[in-house]
Amino acid sequence: MKKGSLWSFGTRAVVYAAIGAALYGVLSWVFNFLQLPASGNVALRPAVVIPLFFGITFGPIVGFITGFLGNIIGDLLSGYGFWIWWDLGNGLIGLVAGLCAGMMVDYKRGKDILIAEIFVVLACAVGMFVASVSEMWVSGLDFATAMATTFFPAFITNIINGLILTPLLMLAYAAVRSRSGR
Amino acid sequence: MVVTFGYKQRNSLVETFDPRARWIFSILSLFTIVNFWDIRFLLYFLLISVVQYSFTRLTWKETKRAWRFIFFLMFIMIFVNTIVTSAGTISDVTANPHVLFAIEKPIRFTMTIERLWFALTQVVRVLSITMLFIVVPFTMDPRQYGITFKGMGLGDKLAFTMDLAFRFVPTLARDFGTTMDAQKARGYELDNLKGNIFKKIARMAPIMIPVTMNSLLSGEDMVNAMDLRGFSTSGKRTWLYTLKYRKRDIALIAYSVVVLIISIILPRVFHIGGFWVPPFLIP
Repeated sequence: MKKGSLWSFGTRAVVYAAIGAALYGVLSWVFNFLQLPASGNVALRPAVVIPLFFGITFGPIVGFITGFLGNIIGDLLSGYGFWIWWDLGNGLIGLVAGLCAGMMVDYKRGKDILIAEIFVVLACAVGMFVASVSEMWVSGLDFATAMATTFFPAFITNIINGLILTPLLMLAYAAVRSRSGR
Repeated sequence: MVVTFGYKQRNSLVETFDPRARWIFSILSLFTIVNFWDIRFLLYFLLISVVQYSFTRLTWKETKRAWRFIFFLMFIMIFVNTIVTSAGTISDVTANPHVLFAIEKPIRFTMTIERLWFALTQVVRVLSITMLFIVVPFTMDPRQYGITFKGMGLGDKLAFTMDLAFRFVPTLARDFGTTMDAQKARGYELDNLKGNIFKKIARMAPIMIPVTMNSLLSGEDMVNAMDLRGFSTSGKRTWLYTLKYRKRDIALIAYSVVVLIISIILPRVFHIGGFWVPPFLIP
């Protein structure tokens, strides 16, 4: 992605934001529905890689819409109601991850993968922190409770899923791009 | 894999309101409710949420999944907040405590009247908010999300993105089902993943990668098709669906604005609406 086009929102961004949101929504729903077995308190929530990957690949606006709208769609499909402050947190995951889109040169290069991984951690931290802190405002939780009951479980789950799956998607995308000449 | 939204036409009173008016009402009500910690005010908002809910014709079967999720979250949050940590973000709860009971062993713990009342207030507050929003997915047509947010000031491109995303959902769910079947035919078992958490997540790759890459490739064709039809050109656009405010919508928006203004003024100017414990509970 060209550095100047990081915040542009043209036809390409419209289409990929819509695809990202739909994909995140569908995968969230599928993995909620399947209730995959996991270890300890860490749930298998692999769909979170979608806003991270779409942010890294297409920029912060696409990343934000993918996370924000995708979480709404996932909750609509799963019948979980509407949690705007968590939708915002998921949007921020994509947005912060998208800030490194301008630094990506070759998706299979070690340096680019490392940068992406750093932004995965940052993005999950910022997104889940904002969502968790908003629980203080909405539910009247104190800081310690918000961190213990919402931030840490969500943050740990998201970084484990994100750190493992993001490089795999980046490598696959590099291969698809070189094969299709795009 | 067939995917369906929880929405279906119910001919309920709530559905006769313009979706823009309903969003404005719900969002302004959220900002109103969070201004109060007085259970008397919160019970009024809970009543409003209950009234709205009762006019939706929703059944328990439709919403039980959401309710279970909400009650589980509420239990965890309020249990930890009340029992484990310092009970809330507001200092009134801990400022002048009246001890209800205290234990020394196995851990030192003191339960105060204020702490218990705060937990009850939290339940009412969280219920008022969640009940307000829980009806949205079941009573608002997903096809109208784009035009609704366009009508609330969102740009054409953003609104169209929302519209497009909802249209992509069935296609992507079908693609997911096809990929899953293809991988199962090759011996892949999603419901029998072995190994530690890291291995389990890595084993999601045979599902995640093909679905994502296929959608990216089909996206390129969509971009070209939209550009060829002049999507990127500027100018006034028209939408397939149109929305029109009626008197009842204006009244709902006016009510929401007035109540929000009152909720901002009362605590800040008149110091009304803060945390309140019934005097008869205080010894």
